[in-house]
Amino acid sequence: MVMACRVINKRRHIGLQQLSSFAETGRSFLGPVKASKFIIDEESHESILISSVIRLLESLDLTSAVGQLLNEAVQAQNNTYRTGTNTLLFFVGAWSSAAEECLHLGVPISVIVSVMSEGLNSCIEEVVSLQVPIHNLFDDIDSTNTFSGLEAFNVTLCPFLQIPSDTGLIQTNLDLKDASQSVVIYSLSGRPVKSCVFFRPQAKVEARESISQTLVNSQLADNSCRRSILIHSRHFNSTGNSQSISKPDGFLEQCSAAASKTHSCNDLVELTVGLSHGDHSSMKLVEQVVRLQYQNARMQQGNCTMPFMFDISRIFACYLPGLPETFTCVCPGYITLVSISCTTLIKELQNQPVRVILIQGDLTENYHHVGFNKSINIKTVFESMKVNEDSTEELWANRVSQILIQFNVHLVLVQGNVSEHLIEKCMYKKQLVIGSVNGSVMHAFAEATGAMQVAYITQVNEDCVGSGVYVTFWRTIPLDVVDKKNRMAILLKTGGINLVTAVLTGPVTAQMQTKEDRFWTCAYRLYYALKDQKVFLGGGAVEFLCLSHLRIIEEQSLKTEDQACSGWLHNSSSWLASSLALYRPTVLKCLANGWHKYLSTLIHNTANYSSEFEVSTFIQHHLKNAMDSTSPSSYILNEYSTLNRGVFNPDISNKLEQIPRVYDIVTPKIEAWRRALDLVLLILQTDSEIVTGHGHTQTNSQESEGFLFL
Amino acid sequence: MARLEAKKPSVCENEPLTSGRVRSMLSVLKRIVTSCYGPSGRLKQLHNSVGGHVCTTSQSSALLRSLLVTHPILKILTASMQNHVSCVSDCGLFMAILCCNLIENVQEIDLTPTTVIELNKLLLSLCTNYLKSEVCGCRIPVDFSSTQILLCLVRSILTSKPACMLTRKEVDHISALVLRAFLLTIPEKAKDYVILGKTIIVPLKDQRVMDSTVLPGMLIEMSEVQLMRMLPMKKSSALKVALFCVSLSGDFSDTGEGTLVVSYGVDLESAVLDQLLNLGWQLVRDQIDIVMCQKVIHPSLKQFLSTHRVIAIDRVGVALMEPLSKMTGTQPIGSLSSISPSSYGSVKDLCTAKFGSKRFFHLIPHEVTVSSLLLCNRSDTTWDELKLTCQTALHVLQLTIKEPFVFLGGGCTETHLAAYIRHKTLNEPGSILKGNECTQTALRLIAEAFCSALESLAGSLEHDGGEILTDMKYGHFWSVQSDCPPLVNWPDLLSRCGCGLHSSQEELSWSFLRSTRHPFVPQNCLPHEAATSANNLTLDCFTAKLSGLQVAVETANLILDLAYVIEDKN
Repeated sequence: MVMACRVINKRRHIGLQQLSSFAETGRSFLGPVKASKFIIDEESHESILISSVIRLLESLDLTSAVGQLLNEAVQAQNNTYRTGTNTLLFFVGAWSSAAEECLHLGVPISVIVSVMSEGLNSCIEEVVSLQVPIHNLFDDIDSTNTFSGLEAFNVTLCPFLQIPSDTGLIQTNLDLKDASQSVVIYSLSGRPVKSCVFFRPQAKVEARESISQTLVNSQLADNSCRRSILIHSRHFNSTGNSQSISKPDGFLEQCSAAASKTHSCNDLVELTVGLSHGDHSSMKLVEQVVRLQYQNARMQQGNCTMPFMFDISRIFACYLPGLPETFTCVCPGYITLVSISCTTLIKELQNQPVRVILIQGDLTENYHHVGFNKSINIKTVFESMKVNEDSTEELWANRVSQILIQFNVHLVLVQGNVSEHLIEKCMYKKQLVIGSVNGSVMHAFAEATGAMQVAYITQVNEDCVGSGVYVTFWRTIPLDVVDKKNRMAILLKTGGINLVTAVLTGPVTAQMQTKEDRFWTCAYRLYYALKDQKVFLGGGAVEFLCLSHLRIIEEQSLKTEDQACSGWLHNSSSWLASSLALYRPTVLKCLANGWHKYLSTLIHNTANYSSEFEVSTFIQHHLKNAMDSTSPSSYILNEYSTLNRGVFNPDISNKLEQIPRVYDIVTPKIEAWRRALDLVLLILQTDSEIVTGHGHTQTNSQESEGFLFL
Repeated sequence: MARLEAKKPSVCENEPLTSGRVRSMLSVLKRIVTSCYGPSGRLKQLHNSVGGHVCTTSQSSALLRSLLVTHPILKILTASMQNHVSCVSDCGLFMAILCCNLIENVQEIDLTPTTVIELNKLLLSLCTNYLKSEVCGCRIPVDFSSTQILLCLVRSILTSKPACMLTRKEVDHISALVLRAFLLTIPEKAKDYVILGKTIIVPLKDQRVMDSTVLPGMLIEMSEVQLMRMLPMKKSSALKVALFCVSLSGDFSDTGEGTLVVSYGVDLESAVLDQLLNLGWQLVRDQIDIVMCQKVIHPSLKQFLSTHRVIAIDRVGVALMEPLSKMTGTQPIGSLSSISPSSYGSVKDLCTAKFGSKRFFHLIPHEVTVSSLLLCNRSDTTWDELKLTCQTALHVLQLTIKEPFVFLGGGCTETHLAAYIRHKTLNEPGSILKGNECTQTALRLIAEAFCSALESLAGSLEHDGGEILTDMKYGHFWSVQSDCPPLVNWPDLLSRCGCGLHSSQEELSWSFLRSTRHPFVPQNCLPHEAATSANNLTLDCFTAKLSGLQVAVETANLILDLAYVIEDKN
């Protein structure tokens, strides 16, 4: 009556088939040239234009169990990294067909699971050689000694110091390897040894594995966000320590000197161009944001060597649909929309610092903080006829206004809603009240003005009031930029506010969402590049290396019956462990096909080749060369410009130095692979779905034949 | 208008086990639990097909949460499984499969249920006596001076739940964390009795598994606003703590029934707020450093406390209340009016920590018996499974401290036990039947059913069409591919037994598990050094498995004993 059970992998695995058909829909989003899609609702005849996986999944019917798991995986990737979802979806498709292929060839499920999982691990280890460390990025913006801070910063922001010391050492080796290699690539006059030194201090600190250390470090991380307090902090000394452990200044200066000559990835412009993946306009905005934040940080600190961190939470995006493209820009401060009836008020407030208060909740009469349960059985009776219920709001508004006058406040930022009546009332008293302010904007103002966020206006005291905010029109002729709801853009600024607003405009309203998505994608891409302090050589290089690496280990396992891989299985005593060698080449081949598919789709989407066949020949040609060479990674490094041109820039002349490099972010990409494979393997290992509850009756009517009832 | 409806007659089902419907339902249930069993078990997607949460799992506790069965016989089975799992966490599938096997195996035998039940009981006590005795050949004493066996135990539990989706490296990392988290809950100063602390699992979803970590003390999530309000602590040896279980949000929830009429101008809210601020004064006077509240603290009170350099932490949640009060030595305060000074407690230190995108208050106690396990996994589904698994592992470690033994895992205990029973019933039937009227033939029949139930339980570990062998010396479990040539050199084809204790190079002889063979005395094979030096053993929890065996046999007996099912259809 309430439960049914269906076997989903008799011969053909239904779950895997569902996965690949879902993934097929996202194919056209891969690569820098994206084909947008129109999604049309047949009932309401509404249509939207989309060009990202997230928006696509929002429009698909994902109520099936597999669809929901797919959505969960994509959302998880998106929530954590805001990027890599295209890759994730593509590999879900590619690898679910690969797994199905293996099933078809009679490979036991447990073997598919362990070989695929370890195959991917092996690839992830291999692609470390294509990592490009990011050094001295801000040297060209400002003077030299900024970097020692970045080093210490990296240490302090790593709260997970529970890594056993030996893995810490392995990490060092890898870093050394990639550092030296990258120097070989990028700086022709390079001094690889110098940049090796750069990594060592970090590893030393990491190796000190103890709980108390973690605590100290996490406190440091914490303190680094609170500049003003740090000076009095009892941990101040330890910050000094970790800087003195990592005394790389001397080397770094030499390094940067060498680097600036060779124009390597130590340059912010080169990095952003490489990470833009064809979307130069959005990335240009992000780059400007970083520059503004950096300048602001330098100004605030003076000579203090606090690390600079690109703080993505301090970016606010303001959307102004309907305005021409040329209005798109980046501004320090907060740009928001207010009713045009405020024009006079803004004019009056202009050119003088005003005092501000920040309200966390709503600014309405009957607002209560979350967790306050209003009793329903309390009734107020009125004894005299003078007061009636209508005027209670009036009384309240007067009281608010009084408080504002008392503290000489002319600006109120409210995170929640504001009563319209109050806004109007305050307007006549030269008090500007702005509602629905983003939380991180509130934090930025709290930091910059010294204001404290309060829940109720009655809580305000002198300590809660911030000062020094300037209110102006965003454009000199404010009525130029009025939107459909009769609102105009104003700019709130204060000295040293660590907040940058990106104004996104465009004449076509349908494109606004895409614009917004692309801006944030670029922002997060740069954010993770700076956070990881390394990028991958992009444009398919990483995937190509994975492909050739898998082909090589596949060939090796065909030749030698190596038993080393038997440990790949969790359960090493099972017969599967001994028969692993038999199936290994097959599974690895199928896994590698996924990468092949990715590369050919990528190349095909960029439209340099007319046929799939041509693309395939191109890949095969280089694959053969790579496998014949001593090491595929050095082949890729040598041939990178050729490969890169083949993939992305067919029209650019043959002058190598003119071809911009393409970069990819490291952690989000690897996590996207892992997530994709995890999802595929999870579905692969699932043999039945159990439907519970009321939904069962519906299942019954649709397709009851496959179900067994309990 | 009253309406009368004639009562429907009750439905009576005679000998329910003989009905085809019941048998097919039992076999569906058996197929579900059997296919989930072991490290290569298949997963199940549990959902309501209308877009609700999808749970992918192979764990009995997660399965049970959504298994809603209707027939009374299945209800008995799932209820005892539920009961077993809630007591010992582990071995739920073991119990269910064994119970199904036992019922299935005796159905072909022409004996009265009473005899079957009687004999099953005898065999059960034979098993438990053997498993608890010193001569038992399939258990290892736990050596607490090294972490080896405990780590193997945790690792075996983690690898037996494939829906966690952990790689080998991640399994090692999480096992070490679970063990460390457990060790932190053991008080350093042992008294006559030991009260174990608690491990709190803190979710950190969508992060890398390797980012998981363990901290002594407790973590409470904080908002960024709170962070900005945090002032540097006054330096003192211990921080005085007050813990409230009553809401400090300033509402008046206890107005009772009926309507309360107040005249205009009387502001109840400010009256309550005044009371809260008075409370605040008292807390400040009593030199409290940290005020914690299960529910919400009124923003004004928070502001007041913050200006007096008292840290206010609210929305702690009911789950953390008990460990918090234990760890800090506080009495949760339930009233706003009078606080007895004896209800205050203290912590050694408070700091803030950031993990992933979350910020936490980290409370460090004087004596650590509470630990926080920050658990990461890539998706919700796998996180949920991993959390359940870690909880199971922590519980199993607690049980292991009580009874310091582990069973050999990977099917070896089952095959060994079956060999032991076969041998006993053949050679010493008299001593088993002592004072019982059953015949030796009946004993032999039921013993065979019992042993094959155990053996096919071990065989359920295999899901990819392999064959199971057993060696004729120790009675351990060996797996081999199905289509192997008839004249094969076994030692070359096999590698290690299921638990990993024996290698195929030890001059053993093998036979297929399902074939008939001569009973033998399974040897007690345990040179203890060998057992402890082998670092990759598959182990099972002693208490959980023993209880699983007992519950399985007793439940099977109960179901076999059912003569009628009477259902009230009204």
